[in-house]
Amino acid sequence: MPKSTDDLIAGLVDDLHPVRPLRQARGMLLAVLALIAGALGMAGFWPIRTDLVAARPDGMFLLSASLFLVLGLASAWAVIDMARPAVGMRREGWGWTALMAATLPLAAAALLAFELARGMPLAIDRDGLGCMRFGLGWSVLTFAALVWWLRRGAPVLPQRAGLLTGVAAGAAGIFAVSLYCPHNDLVHIGIWHGLTVVLAGLIGRIAVPRLIAW
Amino acid sequence: MIADEASLARLAGLAQRGDKQAYAALLGAARHWLARYFRGRGMPCQIDDLVQETLLSLHRKLASYDPDRPFMPWLAAIARYRFVDHLRLVYRQAEDELAEDHPAPQLEEPAIAARISLDRLFEALPEAQQRAIALVKIEGLSISEASASTGQSESAVKVNIHRGLKRLAALVERA
Repeated sequence: MPKSTDDLIAGLVDDLHPVRPLRQARGMLLAVLALIAGALGMAGFWPIRTDLVAARPDGMFLLSASLFLVLGLASAWAVIDMARPAVGMRREGWGWTALMAATLPLAAAALLAFELARGMPLAIDRDGLGCMRFGLGWSVLTFAALVWWLRRGAPVLPQRAGLLTGVAAGAAGIFAVSLYCPHNDLVHIGIWHGLTVVLAGLIGRIAVPRLIAW
Repeated sequence: MIADEASLARLAGLAQRGDKQAYAALLGAARHWLARYFRGRGMPCQIDDLVQETLLSLHRKLASYDPDRPFMPWLAAIARYRFVDHLRLVYRQAEDELAEDHPAPQLEEPAIAARISLDRLFEALPEAQQRAIALVKIEGLSISEASASTGQSESAVKVNIHRGLKRLAALVERA
């Protein structure tokens, strides 16, 4: 580091090159492209839902896929905006969306609790592990895109940026999977698809801060 | 003299397009504002280092400024990040020294300054929160050890740490 601040400023001015400001729209385009790539890539592993092919989609599928899509987009929006810091800026929209999406696992848990109370066995299918595996797998695209964007910017709340990156990636990954997953029941979607987003959020919270430190 | 917000935002926009004259004016104004900002945080012997580190960050992260937004909140966010990072680094160095039991005179002054700065912030916290944070986050005790040492229940220690850190973060932001 130069001895005097005057020398430092002179050096920085001398080193100045034009830079392209980070634009929210470009970041969102990147996140949407990653989400679409995940949705298309999944076609190589599972056949697309028959009700979608027949243009007669199931109501539960439409509702849950929409919730995960909106959660993914809202969280990605917040992450992309976090690359451009500002004291006093509030980014809380994602929280309401997350709360809305949380109704799926909460409702599934309530349903299971009522069934247990009536003495019925736990009806959790094991296909969900495949959904979770693919959901986390395809979330890597959105995860990488958002981390790359954050590294270009100046995130000042790394833990929160990490959590939101994970949530956005997990929601995008499970949205891609839900276009192919044949299940329409609340328990499968709430537990397995919901758990995928929670796991991705935890991974993001732990892994991202060290990747975006500056 | 420190320019007004609109002028700074305009200078930053010009700097992003490569205007060196505007950039020099921007860095000059930022330098004075940063010196005042860090002086207010009680680290007089660290001001030059902090100002220089923040100016370097400003230079590296110039693309993260949105020319459609005010400039000062952006600069303040970068300054706060550097300040917290600096405190963390100084504290870690001080802890390493203690662990190794090596005298390192050149690091003594920043460590003391960081301690003073944190102590000033700590004064704003209730006693129970100060104790919980000091034992667990600074001295490295486990929750159960801190609980035994303070007489607080383990959940009370956790709550006090959580509330205390939240309050400290708010104080750093407001200061």
